[in-house]
Amino acid sequence: MSNYDAIVVGGGINGLIAGAVLGRKGKKVCIIEKAGSFGGMASYAVDGGPSLAHALYNLSPLALKDTGIDADHATLTGQQIDTVSLSSDGNHIAFKEGRVYWNDGTEHPQSQAWRELTHRLKTYGGLLRQLAEAPPPGGHSASLSRARFAEMLRLAKLGVGLKKLGKTEMRRFLQVVLSNVYDIVLDDLPDGPVAGMLAADAIRGAATGPRSPGTVFNLIYRLGHGGTITRPAGGMTAVVDALVEAARAAGCTMLHETEVSRILVDEDAVTGVLTADGQTLNAPMVLSNVASPLTCKLTGPSVFDIETTRRIRNIRARGTAAKVNLRLKDASPLPGLKDELKGARLIYAPSAAYVETAFNPAKYREMSKAPVIEAIRTELPDGSHWLSAIVQYAPSDIEGGWTQSALDQLTQLTIDTLDRAVPGLRDHIVGTQTITPDQIQAATGAPGGHWHHAEMSLDQLLTLRPSNGTSRYAFGPKGLFLCGAATHPGGDVMGLAGRNAALTALEALK
Amino acid sequence: MTLESRYDAIVVGAGHNGLTAAAYMARAGMNVLVVEKNDWIGGAAVSRSLHDGWTYSNCSYVCSLLRREIARDLDLPKYGLQVIPYEGGASFTRDGDHFAYYSDHNALRREMARHSARDADAYRAYSQAIMRQCRFIRPFLLRDAPDPASLRPRDLGELAYLVKKAHGLGSRELGETLKFWTMSIGDFLDEHFENDLIKAHLAGSGIIGTGLGVYSPGTAYVLLHHYMGDIDGGIGAWGFARGGMGAISNAIAASFKDHGGTIHTGAGVEKILSKDGRVQGVALEDGKVFYAPVVASNMDIKRTIQHHVDTDDLPQDFTKAVNNFKIRGSSAKLNISLDQFPDFPAAPEHTSFLRGDMHVSESLFELERAYDDWKDGRWSEKPYIDMLIPSQIDPTMAPTGAHMMTVFVQYAPYDLNIDGNRSADNWTDAQRNAMAETVLNQISVACPDIRDRVVHMEVRSPLEIEREVGLTEGNIFQGELTFDQLFFNRPVPGWSQYSLPIKGLYLCGSSAHPGGGVMGAPGANAARAILRHETRHGRMKGYAA
Repeated sequence: MSNYDAIVVGGGINGLIAGAVLGRKGKKVCIIEKAGSFGGMASYAVDGGPSLAHALYNLSPLALKDTGIDADHATLTGQQIDTVSLSSDGNHIAFKEGRVYWNDGTEHPQSQAWRELTHRLKTYGGLLRQLAEAPPPGGHSASLSRARFAEMLRLAKLGVGLKKLGKTEMRRFLQVVLSNVYDIVLDDLPDGPVAGMLAADAIRGAATGPRSPGTVFNLIYRLGHGGTITRPAGGMTAVVDALVEAARAAGCTMLHETEVSRILVDEDAVTGVLTADGQTLNAPMVLSNVASPLTCKLTGPSVFDIETTRRIRNIRARGTAAKVNLRLKDASPLPGLKDELKGARLIYAPSAAYVETAFNPAKYREMSKAPVIEAIRTELPDGSHWLSAIVQYAPSDIEGGWTQSALDQLTQLTIDTLDRAVPGLRDHIVGTQTITPDQIQAATGAPGGHWHHAEMSLDQLLTLRPSNGTSRYAFGPKGLFLCGAATHPGGDVMGLAGRNAALTALEALK
Repeated sequence: MTLESRYDAIVVGAGHNGLTAAAYMARAGMNVLVVEKNDWIGGAAVSRSLHDGWTYSNCSYVCSLLRREIARDLDLPKYGLQVIPYEGGASFTRDGDHFAYYSDHNALRREMARHSARDADAYRAYSQAIMRQCRFIRPFLLRDAPDPASLRPRDLGELAYLVKKAHGLGSRELGETLKFWTMSIGDFLDEHFENDLIKAHLAGSGIIGTGLGVYSPGTAYVLLHHYMGDIDGGIGAWGFARGGMGAISNAIAASFKDHGGTIHTGAGVEKILSKDGRVQGVALEDGKVFYAPVVASNMDIKRTIQHHVDTDDLPQDFTKAVNNFKIRGSSAKLNISLDQFPDFPAAPEHTSFLRGDMHVSESLFELERAYDDWKDGRWSEKPYIDMLIPSQIDPTMAPTGAHMMTVFVQYAPYDLNIDGNRSADNWTDAQRNAMAETVLNQISVACPDIRDRVVHMEVRSPLEIEREVGLTEGNIFQGELTFDQLFFNRPVPGWSQYSLPIKGLYLCGSSAHPGGGVMGAPGANAARAILRHETRHGRMKGYAA
């Protein structure tokens, strides 16, 4: 029997960060991971293929700082990559250094409008980031407590930030943030690959289409840390390694290949966990990096009141993003792409309307007839070359299940779609891996294989994330906290959920 | 009728909101003129006889949202308004079954249990949740939406009222409220119910008049928008105005005239005149010019600004916001004269629910697919229909023994897509008739003999609604009811309090807060703003003040 100050269930990005933050505050922490290695969904890979997550754009410097990792850490800064919106006529559009270019290097006529729109959204993102870096507003702390005072101060800062925008911009903010990305983009840009790229970015990983109200928020969320996209040196595994190292340095005990079968609760307070191999680990504090329905299963629903279990049951998490990894024969550049864009992030979304049409079948539990794709080229340490693609929409709950023929269909659809924009790509492909949301769920436990563990829609954000009444990390019995992507502010290899949860837990159990 | 050329105020458009604003101003002693382009008044709250002996409520067809404060202030019952509630409703299925909605609680419970015992239990929690939201929102309808960017005492006061109300809910309930306001009606129903037919029946109010699907976030609010009314205190109840919806406009007009108001019909406004940023009056299409220091436009914001004022002098961000205002036609309407009561084989004889609203949609997916068709620029293959036969309750609508049927159709696009070309010009007679056939096929799910009963039929696509009533793109709410166009964002940020950038020009229609429906609230609120800004005594009297 071992005694700890805190146990973290699940060694994904947020679990590692939560553990490290607690360890650095002098707590004796144990991080327990079911799989053979840490990293959870971000570094999940099959048969030596590329990891599920293939780029960083939202990793929080604040979370890193509290973990003890230098923000300029060589692995994490990585290499900045440009974006290319693919066009079937071969005239691809490149987004570089805040401008938009045609394939021949001349500036795109929509460059200015795109720049202004993204600049505005980034400004909003910067403001909203203040909300992401603390528990959501609406706590129960006493009105004169320090916590309440800190919260009021944060809100006041946000208010001042809004005021600083000026009246017109402030009003515009309050309108835009509630709007849908389709309308906001098409107000300023004609529909085409530039608009399509923005629409695709707004819905990536989400079970929603660009016309659904609230999708502008998703785009702002992506741009919350400036919108720069990097490919970490050494891939996502290196990022996870850095976090594991940080957790170790903070004194955390790291257990992998250990499954937690029960979170122990006695007299409405957690006492530790029971592992599948029969060990009991004691701790007055348990942080769960697994989604709330699973956490609820681990404690047993009887420790929650009926309203809470009802709300947990109603959390929406339908993964719609599949991962298709295309193994390339060698390092030769893809046809039609200029050398400088060899490593760029490729988007296939010819228009915002295309993205919406792709979404339609997903509503009825079917895969898109013409999918939206984000693909990034990666070279793995073993020297293999891959085109790592996130393909939407491929709903986790597809009608008839993900049979082999459905998988083949999705793989073929992905290759056909990319080959239309990059003719000849087909000949470069020597192998494929298709990972659907249900496989992601089976491997990582994320409900619906959803990479945020819970849909990032307006009704599941902030004080409502993951569900009303459980939004400030504390979850049911005393000492139990959620620290995963399902909590505020959400996932995306950001790390703030884990960091906020750890700080909240410390405060609560003082 | 002789007309002076100078007034204290001119209202452009004799819709129910324009007339409401005019009536309040007249009661406050102002000399008010209402100008209307059609030969009749009422806008979209209108009764017309297009086939001898039958009366149609051509556009809006049932009443609930009309604020009772307004009905009392303007003495509408005295001027002939009678609203008769109807009870029940039903959704019919293709396999000959139905789900009946009874206003009698026990009957409804039995009927729900027939489809799903679990849903019968769940209904209580569902209706309580909706009722709580109704109670929360109702006090805001006759108040101004505060401008969050302003520090004026009025705005701060309204904001404080909002915060007080929100705080009064308690943190859990406030959370539920925020969730309700931002979620889709499909998700909300999925949380409560399991039966497809029951969910489809309840979902309809979440999409009526709206360019959104049942699974689009924000449609739970649209449902609320249809539930927050009342008849004689029965919150959420709907009814018929005796004599058709025009009876409402006629009663308001009578109240207005009784207080010295004048209505000029048959000539639309060519231009709203202004000089040095101050409104002067209006020039009509028939050449007449009327002057007034105040003009209130009952037209939607797009029509008002884009077609009837000089935009050169307006702030650019304002005109841009108006141009980007979303006002999408998504509904069509069929009004049908029937030679006798049609046969509903699935319904028990003498049942009460045939007097209510009837539908034929069987699942949320079917409704969502109807929305997908609309997004592509086609009318829905299986549209949501809301059909009623008011002549059962109101005998003035049809000759003895005959009946009148009103059928609301969701979705139908304004810019119809023919071979990839999207344009309102594509609405030819042939297309309109083809759409009517689609709708008749839907109706025949409930009453197979419908085609044999039709004596006369009026088919209105969004284009007809735009042409006749003047609603841009035929949008029945004068603008989408999405979060980015509600409350302080309605119609555009910074201009949510009825005044417009031209001094003396006001908006009094549904483009303004709190939005569409035959509610009268935008009209009353606009009148309150006008009296405050433009008159010396400044205060409106009455319950709506």
